[in-house]
Parts: sequence; structure tokens; C-alpha cells
Amino acid sequence: MNPSTPPRLRSLLHGLLLLALFLGLAAPASAFPIFARKYQTSCVTCHSVYPKLNPFGEAFRLNGYRMPKETEDLIKQKPVSLGSEAYKRVWPDAVWPNELPGNAPVAVNVKMANVYTSSTDASGGKTIVHNDFQFPQEVNLFAAGTLGEHMSFMAELTHAEGPDGGSGTEIEHARLGFESLFGPEHAFNVRMGKFAPNLYAGFQEMWLMTDNGVDSLFNYNPVGFKGGTGVITDGAGIVSLPARVRGIEVYGVLNHRFFYTFGFSNKIGPGSGVATNTGDGSTQGTPGNFGANNHKDIYLRLDYKFGGMGLDGDTEGVQMPPENWREKSFRIGVLALKGNGTNIDFIATDANGPILDPSDNPYHMQDTSYTRTGLFASWTYSDLNVFGVYLSGKDTLETRSADGLTLYATDDRTYKAYFVQADYVLAPPFHLSARYEKLTPGDTTVQPVKVSNYNFTYLAAANLKFMLEYNKSEQAGVGTNKSINTVIRAAF
Amino acid sequence: MSKTLLLTALGLGAALCAQAGDIHGKVTCKGVRDSADAVVYVAAIPGKTFAAPAAHAKMDQKNLVFIPHVMAVLAGTTVDYLNSDAVLHNVFSPDACCDKFNLGTWPQGQSKSYTFKKECAATLLCKVHPEMEGFVVTSPTPYFAVTKADGSFTIPNVPDGAYTVKVWHPKCKPSQKAVTVAGATAAAFEIAK
Ligand SMILES: [Cu+2]
Repeated sequence: MNPSTPPRLRSLLHGLLLLALFLGLAAPASAFPIFARKYQTSCVTCHSVYPKLNPFGEAFRLNGYRMPKETEDLIKQKPVSLGSEAYKRVWPDAVWPNELPGNAPVAVNVKMANVYTSSTDASGGKTIVHNDFQFPQEVNLFAAGTLGEHMSFMAELTHAEGPDGGSGTEIEHARLGFESLFGPEHAFNVRMGKFAPNLYAGFQEMWLMTDNGVDSLFNYNPVGFKGGTGVITDGAGIVSLPARVRGIEVYGVLNHRFFYTFGFSNKIGPGSGVATNTGDGSTQGTPGNFGANNHKDIYLRLDYKFGGMGLDGDTEGVQMPPENWREKSFRIGVLALKGNGTNIDFIATDANGPILDPSDNPYHMQDTSYTRTGLFASWTYSDLNVFGVYLSGKDTLETRSADGLTLYATDDRTYKAYFVQADYVLAPPFHLSARYEKLTPGDTTVQPVKVSNYNFTYLAAANLKFMLEYNKSEQAGVGTNKSINTVIRAAF
Repeated sequence: MSKTLLLTALGLGAALCAQAGDIHGKVTCKGVRDSADAVVYVAAIPGKTFAAPAAHAKMDQKNLVFIPHVMAVLAGTTVDYLNSDAVLHNVFSPDACCDKFNLGTWPQGQSKSYTFKKECAATLLCKVHPEMEGFVVTSPTPYFAVTKADGSFTIPNVPDGAYTVKVWHPKCKPSQKAVTVAGATAAAFEIAK
């Protein structure tokens, strides 16, 4: 729109766009208006279109939710003192002083979706659902903030309602952070709790502008059994990468541009011991459960960012454009995760459900060794951000008897997965995103999963967005799913 | 003191007052939290021009806020925009009367300047922080004032004469009226959203 367009016409156009998107149809991540309140600044200071962070937002996040070189005056909501600063001099004769956020640091996201889906199974049978009003699809309650100079916290409680009205509530995040504990600022930070590890910085949660996560990396089982489906959705069974971990992580930014993280965690999946047979021939693991054995997953990531804003918000010697989503930069990272799922049983399945031994008991499996290694790259050139991950995995699977005591076979499986996504800012309220992903499972008799995703977002206001999204996933021999989602998401 | 001397002194005093009066009074902005930040100024006087001041005016960007929020300057004044924050700021204006200028971004401790050439109520925005907003009102005459929280203002040193006085406020519709200045002259304005 030309800046000289009269205001009345502008507001009419704005209204028509809202109406068109709403009537047309309706499907959507996270944002913390807590900080908008705390600093009395717009969401757009940190997000190009929430939850996608701009370079400044990324620095704010890595700084433990602090502005670069933050001063007291920047915080417009005065914190509550839990002890005078001077008590530091008296310790340990008194408790160390700290601070609480001035207002309850709570925010809400509401997401409503109108969903159109079309599923075709292997034999060509088709199921179509028109205009499924998933109002609401998801409500998220967030708490996030800082506690004094060196601590931060974040928690998210998500309540989701399924298409059938069934619902579930999950603590998606609950973590404490300890920032800049020693050494140079930003260099050494620790967080613990349940969180999305920085192993995925740049391609999960706060970085994706679309409603759809990167399924090929987080939502499919890449190592199936024999000629089985090899792929189970929704995190049942082994996941390619655990979307969230319960663990302890160390991370930091050195010299403005070098990022590192390593952590130790319990792994998520392959479910809590034994999966259950749902009775209709399919097997359901318990998604999102944590494998409790004696072993810990360990992970590591190293990144370097060339050009643009430093990862800690530093801009010295860099000319940044006023449009705060723009920069010319290239970031590259390597990631690795290694774990051991010994003693965590899951049921061996194929397309027909559990695979039964001669006495009709399902075979059990254990993933006794798994490694995931990947390469991340993100290139930003003005309004365009292209990023992706190439991941390869190697697993050692043991097939055991139903009681888990007898070992029948040991198989090594390797798989690979990748995605590439392009996000483009047409104008600050209008965004486009496209992603292609492919997972080639470990079992060569199982066909690859291909997923494509196209999104148009209208940021109607800094805290309100409409999305029109088309998603297609297909796997030869299994079927095709297509969906068109129209989503409204509001953050307040 | 002789009677003559006293009369002379009174006469002189009156003459001085007549040459340098003022316009004072109150602006009431209806429907707005307070009446601060209204700019009252004498409109262009036919046949009269005023030299642009050499001194620069200064507007600060500190803690993500433009300080002052509203500034009035004489046409021809150069305003320096200082960034006092550790984050980048930008200054641009969507208004044609100041050429829709855009000064880019610059770091802490540095300034960029723009010269306001003609009468203009310029809105200043920062692309990095969309909530930031400031205003520079350029008056064609050196007779202007910005109101205090209670709406009061005083434009000093206005020569006697008949003028058009304009009032502008960030949230209210601009208005103007004829004011004849003879010494200290009161004028009240009522404007609304
Ligand atoms: Cu700014």
C-alpha cells in the first residue's frame, strides 16, 4: 500500500482482509507479551511475525530475556525487591537478595483453526473433512521473566483440544535459567528443567513462522522394524530428535558470533515402557513420555554467524537497516546427540500392528545406541531467510521376547532426514513461507516420507495473526494427507 | 519623585509593554488524558520572514522513548537526534511536509540530523520499535509554545498586532483563530479528538 493512501481507505482494506481471511476458512507456536509489558515495547521489536524471532529477538532470548547492556530505566515495570542490594555484603548472615517481576509475568495465546483435511490411504480410500471448527485448538498459558541479574524462568502450560473434542493438558516447558554466572557476559549460562534445547536454535519453536513444526525431525519414527511402516507419527516410538528434553544445558555466546551448547537429558520416547494395542490394528505409544533408564542423552552444538547482528545483539562495525527483520548474514552450525535406550521397551510393529511371536505375544525392542548428527545453515538476505537442517541417524535395535529377557536379533539402522524452508517478508504485515522435508527411514523397504508446507500470514496487528496454510504429507504405500488450515492466533 | 517623572515612567512602561506583549492561556483537549504537548504558534505573518536559528535543537532517544515527546521549532531549525540507548534506533517521518525523511539507524552516543524547512507537524517514528513516537512541530514564526500538563502556555515577546494563532496536538484536531495582541493577551483554545 502506498503511504499516501488515505487512512479511511486503508482501514477499509485492512477490514476487508480480515473478513476475507476469516470467512475464507481458517490452522498455528508461542510469544510472550510479558516482555512487551515489561519494557513497554511492541512484539515487533523481537518478532518479525511471532513466534519467529528477528536477530534482536534471538539476542534477547540468548541473553536470558534481557536487553543488551540493559539499564534499570529500560524496565518500565519496576521489579519487587526481595532484599536490599546491600545484603550481598552481609551474606551468609542473611539470605542473598533477589528480585521478582513487578507484575505477574503471565501471558496467554489463543489459537483457533478451521481445518479442511483430505486423507487418502494406500488402497485409494479417501476421507474428507470440511470446515472443522477447532475453536479453540490450543490455549497456552505462559510465564516468563527474570529474577534479578542472573536468573530467568519460563513455563508453558498448553491445553489442546483435538478434532473430536478430546483434550489434553501438558506442561510443555518449565525451566530455570542462570545467566552469565562467571566469565565474560553471555559466555556461560545454564538452564535446567523441561525445555526445547538450544540444540535446535534456529529451526524449532520460536523460529518457525508457520503452524507446522518440522515433522521429519521431531514427529516421525525413523527406525522401524523389518518391513513395517517404519514411521509412526506423533512421537510414539523412537523420534528422530526429541522435541523437548528434561535436562541440564550449558550454553553461551563468545566473541559475539560463536555459539555453543551442550547438555545432558533424559530422552523423550520411545514411550513409557510398553506401548498399548488400541484394538483396531494400530499401536499407540505414549507420546512425549520420557524414557527412564540410567543413561542420559548428551548433545552438543557449535555455531558461527557471519554478518548481521551478533548473537548477543552486538552491532559494532555492522550497518543494520532500520527494518529490524532485515540483515545480511549467514549462520552455520553442527549438532550431535547421542544416547542409549537400554531397558526401555517398546513394541515391535509393522503396518498391521504389533508383530507377534509364535505364542502370540508381541516382540519387544530396545534402542541400545543412537546417534544423530546434523548440519544447520541459515542465510538471511534482506527480506528472505532460507534455512534448513540435514540430519543423519544411526541406531542399534535389539529385538527381544515379550518379557524382554531373550535377545533374538541386533540390527543397525541408519536413516537421514532434511528440510529446507524459505520465509519471506512481503511487507511487515504480509509473510510467505514454504518448506519441503523428506525423511528416508532406516528400513530400505519402507518408502520415504515427504512433507510440504506453504503458508501465508497476515499479521493483522503486532499480537494478532491470521494464517492460511496448506500442508501435504505423503508416503508411497501408506497414503497421503492434505490439509488446508485457516488459523487465528492472538497473544495477550 | 516628581509627578512628571512618575508619569513619564508609567508612560515608558506602557510603551515597552505594547512593543513586547505575550499570548498566554490554556488549551483544553477534550477526551484526552491531559492537555500537555499541544503546540500553540503564530501562523505565518504576511511580508515577514525570520532567519533560521544557527543553534541545533536536540531530541533524544532514551529507554525506547523520544525525549521530548513533542518539540516546537522555528522553520529552518536543524534537529539532532541522539541515540542514548545500547540498542539501534531509527528516525523516519511519514509526513510529506518534511519530505518523508528517513535517517537510517545509528548506535549509542551518535546523532543524525534533519533540517525542518517549512511549517510542518511531523510525526517521528522508529522502525526498530514501532511503539516509539515523537513530534516536531515547525512554526513559520518564532512565536510558539508547548503546553504543560494542565494545558497552560505562554508565548513570550509577541509584538502587538493582529495574528492567526494555530494550535496542534498529537491526538486532537488542529484549530486556529484570530488573536489581536496588545500587551499581555489571554487566549483560550478548546480542541477535541
Ligand atoms: Cu527505536
